[in-house]
Parts: sequence; C-alpha cells; structure tokens
Amino acid sequence: MNDLFMSFVPGDSVLHRLDPRTKIIGLMLVSFCILDASSFADMFFIALVFTVLVLSCRLPLGHFVRSVRPMLFFFAILFLMQLFFTEGREVWHFSSLSVTYEGLLLGTTITLRFVFLLLFAALITATTSPSRITSGIERLLRPLPLRYVGITSHDMAMMMSLSIYFVPMFYDSFTSLREAQISRGLDIRKEPVKAIFSIVVPLVSGSVRRVEEVALAMESRCYQSTGRSSMHEMKFTGKDHVSFAMFVFLILFLTVL
Amino acid sequence: MIHIKDISYRYPDNTLAIDSLSLNINKGEFVAIAGKNGCGKSTLLRHMNGLLLPCQGSVVVNGMDTSDPSSLMDIRRTAGMVFQDPGSQFIGMTVEEDVAFGPENLGLSQREINERVDLSLQNVGMEGYRYHTPRSLSGGQKQKVALASVLAMKPDIILFDEVTSMLDPCSRKDILSLIENLHENGTTVVYVTHHLEELVHADRLVVMENGRIVHDGHPREILSRNDPEQFGSDLPPVIELARRLADSGLIPADPSSFPLSRAELREVLCRSK
Ligand SMILES: Nc1ncnc2c1ncn2[C@@H]1O[C@H](COP(=O)(O)OP(=O)(O)OP(=O)(O)O)[C@@H](O)[C@H]1O
Ligand SMILES: [Mg+2]
Repeated sequence: MNDLFMSFVPGDSVLHRLDPRTKIIGLMLVSFCILDASSFADMFFIALVFTVLVLSCRLPLGHFVRSVRPMLFFFAILFLMQLFFTEGREVWHFSSLSVTYEGLLLGTTITLRFVFLLLFAALITATTSPSRITSGIERLLRPLPLRYVGITSHDMAMMMSLSIYFVPMFYDSFTSLREAQISRGLDIRKEPVKAIFSIVVPLVSGSVRRVEEVALAMESRCYQSTGRSSMHEMKFTGKDHVSFAMFVFLILFLTVL
Repeated sequence: MIHIKDISYRYPDNTLAIDSLSLNINKGEFVAIAGKNGCGKSTLLRHMNGLLLPCQGSVVVNGMDTSDPSSLMDIRRTAGMVFQDPGSQFIGMTVEEDVAFGPENLGLSQREINERVDLSLQNVGMEGYRYHTPRSLSGGQKQKVALASVLAMKPDIILFDEVTSMLDPCSRKDILSLIENLHENGTTVVYVTHHLEELVHADRLVVMENGRIVHDGHPREILSRNDPEQFGSDLPPVIELARRLADSGLIPADPSSFPLSRAELREVLCRSK
C-alpha cells in the first residue's frame, strides 16, 4: 500500500535532501521547459535529464511507471485526438478518419509532454515528504498578503497536508467498507445503485467522524495558525545553489536548442 | 493539580452528559475512571484540558481556569491527551512529523523539536520507526507514537481515554507498563478504562454513572464490594475469585488487603494459610 499514486519514497539521495522550495521552483521551471519543448531532440534531452535524476536518487523505475499508469487512458485519448484531427499529409486512412504525418508528430509530442509533466511531478513527490512540500509551499506563500483574505500561510499549508493525509485514510475505509458489504452478501454488479449507497453513506459519516477526531487531536496538541515553527530545516545550502545554476543552464540550453 | 468544581455539561442536542460533578486530582496521582458506556467519562476527560468547557461550574488546571481563552494553550501543554482510536489521532505523514506537531505548535526551535522527538520516541521504544508512515504501524505501535507525541509537549498530566480498548493483550501490557513508568517518574495520570484488571497500578478509582460520581476511593475498597454492574464491565476472574474466597472466610475480608491481581492473590493465600 506504500506505493499509492504519487506517493513518497523515503531515502537519502541528493534530491531527497534538497530544500523543498528548490524542488518546487525547479518543478515549475522544468514544466515550463517541457511545455515549450517541441522537437524530438528537446524530448530526448528532457528524458535524459529525467533518467539522470532517477538514477541519482536510486528509486525503482517501477514506481514511476505506476505513477503514469492511472493516466494511460487519458494519454491514449489525447494521442488519438491529435492523430485523427490534425490536418496534413495523409499517411493512412480508415473510412472517413485519416491519420496524418503532422497528427502523428503532434500526438506524440503532446502526449510526451503530459507524460513528462507527470513523471517530474512524481519525482518530486517521491523524494519529498508531503509535509516538506507543504512547508515549502508555506514559505513560498508567506510573502503573499493572505491575511487580507483572513487566512494564514500556515492554515493553507495545514489544509493541504490534511487533504493529502485524508486520501489514503479515505481509501482504506472505502476498501474495508466494500469488503464488509460484500461479505454480507452485497452483489455490486447486480445492484450497483444499492451498492453505491451502502458504501457511500457509511463512508461519508465515518469520514466526518474521523475528521472531527483529528480536529480534536490537533486542538489538544495546541494547534495554532500563527507562531508555529517547523522541524524541517529550510535553508538554501550549496546543493540548492548548484541546482539553481543547473536550472538556468537547462533553460538556456533548451532555448538555444 | 486539577480542580473540578460542580460542573455540568450538556451537548448541543441537549443530552446531559455531566451532572453537577466535583473532583480534585492531586499531583502525582494515578486516577482511574470507570463506568458504563455513555456515563460521561470521555466528556469529563475532555473538560480536563479545555477541549470542552463546562456549561456551569469551573475547571482549574494547575491554577489556570479553562474558561480563560488566553490560558488554553498552557493548559493543553500541561495536560496532554491520548485518545481511544489509534488510527485517527495521527496528524503527521510520518511518525517523526506526528511527534513534532505539538512542539511545532509551541513555536520551539528546530533543535529543541528534534531533541524532543528523539527523546519521546526513545521513551516509548519507537525510535526505530522514525520515518515510518502511520499506515505501516500496528495499533499498539500507533498508540505508542500517540503517547510519544504527547510526551514531546512535556506535560505534567496525561489524560488517557480507553487507550487500550482497541489493542491486543500483549500491546495492552506494553502501553500499561509505559504509563506506569511515567507515573513513577512523577506524571499525574488520569486513566479511563473498561478493563478492571488494569487498575492494579491506580491509586484511586472513580466510578461514574449518568454524569455523576458514584464511588471515589482506592480500587481495593471499591472492587471488594459493590455491584460490578456499575463498573461497565464484568469483574476480572481474579477479583471474582477473591470476592468468593473472602465471602467464605478463606482470605481476610479486609478491603485494604483485597487482591487485585493474580500475584497479589497468591501472596494473600500464602499468608492466610
Ligand atoms: N458529540 C456528542 N453529541 C451529543 N451527545 C453526545 C456526544 N458525545 C457524547 N454524547 C452523549 O453524552 C453522554 C456521555 O458520553 P461520553 O462519550 O462521555 O460517555 P463515555 O462514558 O465516554 O462512554 P464510552 O464508554 O462509550 O466511551 C452519552 O449519553 C452520549 O450519548
Ligand atoms: Mg468514551
């Protein structure tokens, strides 16, 4: 259960130890490069960067395959749309649908862009614990005038990490409820509507109870939205400066290419 | 330490959960609270660190009144609480982060936070699980982490709400011996339970019924007589046996020597031979 979609894999690599802010900014810059990449040379270069990063943090490649897998259907649709609906030189046709050379090219690049976006995002979530991501976001948000909206950057970060935290919890209760209902003779295929109700109703009421309990636990441990500190060191070190230099180099390289 | 003076509490749906109840808990005491389901144990406990405020009466913890909003933080730091369900009191994504949550709220420095996390995890013997996710822990391990998270706030008082009720007998013993250790080192313990065999360590037993206190005294005094119906649980076999032996005159009927555990019963039997 530890390799849920986009989950964190504890480790001690350079990428793991980078400041979360570096990684978040880096991800934004890389996304920009990816969206800007159009030639296969660009794509190849991005793939190379990704491979080097994965190798350097010694993560199993399977983890990333699993991150992409849930989206395969979406990618297939995306690819086929481009393939069939792009005007250009016809390569092959099937009744009124025709596949064009341009469509093939565009379909491949667009799909690859999304795959890479997802892979890089998975790389960050795999090497950064969710709470570090949220505390990184918290620090990046801090200069924003959030208090005029009546909320602090700590509240934002806490909300984010709680919602990340509730996903697996939700998933667990869903699985156990489904098993409980099936073992009481519920046939999901025969009575889908009844099945949905018999799972969703207790799921919602159970989750509300859970949320209340977590709120109590937070309150009794003195949660406050101002004046919190963090156990995670947030300091740009040599590694971060080197990474920033590399980002700049990467962007220059890609724009020149 | 905790002075509860004539409090009543009504839930928003109008259930009267606490009915003009008074209780004083002294420094260093190990007070157990027992009673049937729904008699108001959890509600009472939640008053002791200001999670609930009494509709009437007052609760004073270490000289601070819970109705004063400015001292709530200090009260909660003084009186930590461990809850019943091991699954739903985790706040961090890893053990380390969960334990750090309290100290972070106190605004401590990073070094201090890390020291406290190390120390509290060592105290409960979970230092090897620092980077584990809560989902990968057993119920007993989760409760140990929950205890470590409270210890990281360095509380003087710890409130336990049926913390062993979802655990197997083995983890239950583990947790109990941790609590007993804390008590020996001077922590005031308030311990809500349905398991009367866990009362061996308690200095004092408070039995509740319908939001009131019906018995308050040493567990031996209370368990050696009285209808077990009130305790919210069957008598443990040892106590049942000890009662019958006392009734038939095989052991002294004196409540101050009434045995609460197998070891104690053996001793009493040897002595009375
Ligand atoms: N959130 C709530 N809203 C309304 N009524 C509640 C709420 N929580 C508890 N009660 C009611 O208040 C009374 C006391 O509940 P409390 O949870 O304190 O009992 P308890 O002694 O802890 O029981 P248990 O042994 O089951 O934990 C019960 O009648 C219960 O139904
Ligand atoms: Mg209760």
